[in-house]
Amino acid sequence: MKKTTILFLIALISNILFSGCYDRIEIDDQAYVMAIGLDKGKTNFLRMTLQIAVPSASGKSSLGSEEENGEGEGPKSVTTTTVETPAIYSGFNMVNTYISKRLNFSHTKALIFSSELAKEGISEYINAFYRGREFRNTMFIGVSTDSAEDYIRKINYVLDVNPSKFYEETFYSYLYTSFNANTHFFNFYSQAKCSCSSPVATLVGVDKIGSLNAYSIEYSTFMEKERENYLEGDFTAGNIPKEYKNKTSMMGLAVFNGAKMVGELDGQETRYHLMLTGEYNYSYLTVPDPESEGSFILLNVKQSRPPRHSVKMMGDTPIINARIFLEADILSIQSGINYEHASKMHKLEISTEEFLEKDMMMLLQKISKDYRVDIVGFGKKIKGKFMTLDKWTEFDWKKKYPNADFDLVVDLKIRRPGLIIKTSPYES
Amino acid sequence: MNKKEAEMNIGNWEMAALVILILCTKIFLSFPRLMAESAGQAGWILSIYVSLITITVFWFMLRLYKKHYGKDLIDLGEHIGGAAGRIFVGLIIIGFTIYVNSVILREFSEDMKIISLSISPISFVSLFFLAAMIISAYVGLEALVRMNAIAVPIISLGYIIIMLGVGRYYDLSKIMPLFGLGFKQIFINGITRISIFSELLIVFMLTPNLKKFNNFKKSTYIGIVISSVFLTISSLVYLLVFAYPHATESFLPIYQLARLVDYGSFFQRGESVFLLIWAVAAMLYLSLGFNVLLQSFKKTFKLDHYKPLILPFAVIIFTLSLMPPNLMSVIELDTGYLRKWGFIISFGFAILLFVLAGLKKTKKKGEAH
Repeated sequence: MKKTTILFLIALISNILFSGCYDRIEIDDQAYVMAIGLDKGKTNFLRMTLQIAVPSASGKSSLGSEEENGEGEGPKSVTTTTVETPAIYSGFNMVNTYISKRLNFSHTKALIFSSELAKEGISEYINAFYRGREFRNTMFIGVSTDSAEDYIRKINYVLDVNPSKFYEETFYSYLYTSFNANTHFFNFYSQAKCSCSSPVATLVGVDKIGSLNAYSIEYSTFMEKERENYLEGDFTAGNIPKEYKNKTSMMGLAVFNGAKMVGELDGQETRYHLMLTGEYNYSYLTVPDPESEGSFILLNVKQSRPPRHSVKMMGDTPIINARIFLEADILSIQSGINYEHASKMHKLEISTEEFLEKDMMMLLQKISKDYRVDIVGFGKKIKGKFMTLDKWTEFDWKKKYPNADFDLVVDLKIRRPGLIIKTSPYES
Repeated sequence: MNKKEAEMNIGNWEMAALVILILCTKIFLSFPRLMAESAGQAGWILSIYVSLITITVFWFMLRLYKKHYGKDLIDLGEHIGGAAGRIFVGLIIIGFTIYVNSVILREFSEDMKIISLSISPISFVSLFFLAAMIISAYVGLEALVRMNAIAVPIISLGYIIIMLGVGRYYDLSKIMPLFGLGFKQIFINGITRISIFSELLIVFMLTPNLKKFNNFKKSTYIGIVISSVFLTISSLVYLLVFAYPHATESFLPIYQLARLVDYGSFFQRGESVFLLIWAVAAMLYLSLGFNVLLQSFKKTFKLDHYKPLILPFAVIIFTLSLMPPNLMSVIELDTGYLRKWGFIISFGFAILLFVLAGLKKTKKKGEAH
């Protein structure tokens, strides 16, 4: 009896002591940061922008971000604050002094750096985030073509009730657009420390034009590619010819050497990068009609098999063979030429392969000769030929890669013509 | 020894589960990182190598020990050197278990503080584990061993979920170059890493509880082989996900792996699985070590009861665990000393005892003739 009483008392006291009620932190006592933006500071090292969720406003009408973008009426699903701070955590402390809740980063989805900061190097900031327990390895890394603060403030969640969902959906859109890539924090960090590949971050930006009438073709990158007009991916973020309530966009990649940004890829180049790395899923691709100048054919292109790469050394020159396997369905033939027919279909396959090979070669030359970084990860292929780390380090892949010669083959098969198996002409 | 303790009997699976727990709990601490630090990309090869060496050494130990089956190490000390021998051996085992318990208690507490109870004082966090150790000592080793036999499959399941959950991050190129830091580092310098199996010493303290030598042999071999597989898988998976030298950065490798588990919005935050299995494994590991410590002390000084020792030893371990000034010193005490030189006690000292006991037996037989 005595023993039972003691056990009962212990259980009772434990209930009170171990439930931690006296210093509890309720869910609604915390401010959940959705996105962090880092710019170079004007009066201190950093200008840090935090976009904080307002859960009580989520799901209500008139959702938006900031009033200045003209969309916000009624409750806002997020609020944004910016501080000038010497370092990341000191900035968090400063923000905690004037918001009514404690900052919590366990649901942070996006980490945006300004390109100005990224070009100087972001290793110290990346380390701080990696060390922090609350930050997740699955948050996305982006580089804003201008200011990270501007980008975060100008986002307008037109279709989303939940800001977290907005970041997830847009950053994962590469799965069906191929205009950005999987730039999870973990991938970035891991590749930045790798001796055989280099990291990339998603390029984001604020629209440079207010209306389509103000758009100039100079904003596109198509002229660098010797084309007469732009295709859907010939832009970087902020330069897309569009009009929409959300004045921000996401297209292209920021290319890094270690933790320092060295260049940019536009949407089309990003697509080829995905095809080369094997991360490409599917997307709509516009290719020139081989028989009708000025017309285009639209294909829904998928990666049928992972790409095959091999690297051989010829003296100090790496000879890189890359083979890309794609399959496509026809979506539209502007010229009305009967490409559904087997003989024509083969011609279309060949011309598409040539078109892709030419563009991809340009990309490979750009990243190896201009940026001098291996973002595709060809180094992974040759690393396996070395027995020990010392030998691999001595080999110094990053120094040899810029001299690489590429041999690229795109293997594309058209599988289905959509719902039409034969194009008959219109009668006039 | 009281009647209840004398009747204690450990089954084959219970013994195997006990071996798995004492050898594999380090997976949740620093083991995968330690392998990466020691051999680079070849950490998993080092794990296989030390496992094979351990199985060979253990086979040799069992051959020496077979003649003395039924006696634990302290009994053997007494057999060799009488009371002085008993006390000498007993003090070495007590010293070893106190060291292991206090270092691991602090390590687990620090881990818990970092990943979950970040604003609580370390002494408060340690008290949770200490409470488990004290309660387990009161209920006794038998209950603990039975509980462990139930917990090990559950812990293993959680571990497998984490290992499979990060499958999308596997990249074979990350374990290239295949021999990482080099042959010398793996096959010569790596030999001392058999110390990761140091806890095997404990099984020679439990032999009086397994009646037949063959059962003891079978269950410990099963335990060692399963543990070797688990240890190697953890090291391999860790290196397939975290490339070297990135792999040497993580303080808690399996926790970092668990944090990567993310399958859409319906299956995320695998660390919740980690936290559960990790805390259960930690409590069982520390409780087993604490019980062995108490039994060893009782036997060394021929005491009738061990229960009056529970609180004093709990205080000693708690105090010692708080002595290292910071987490880095605790990690150094674990990976730099225990996991490097622990084999001297667990294998070297045990083999010496078996050899001396064998010589004494032969001498006695000769004298009898």
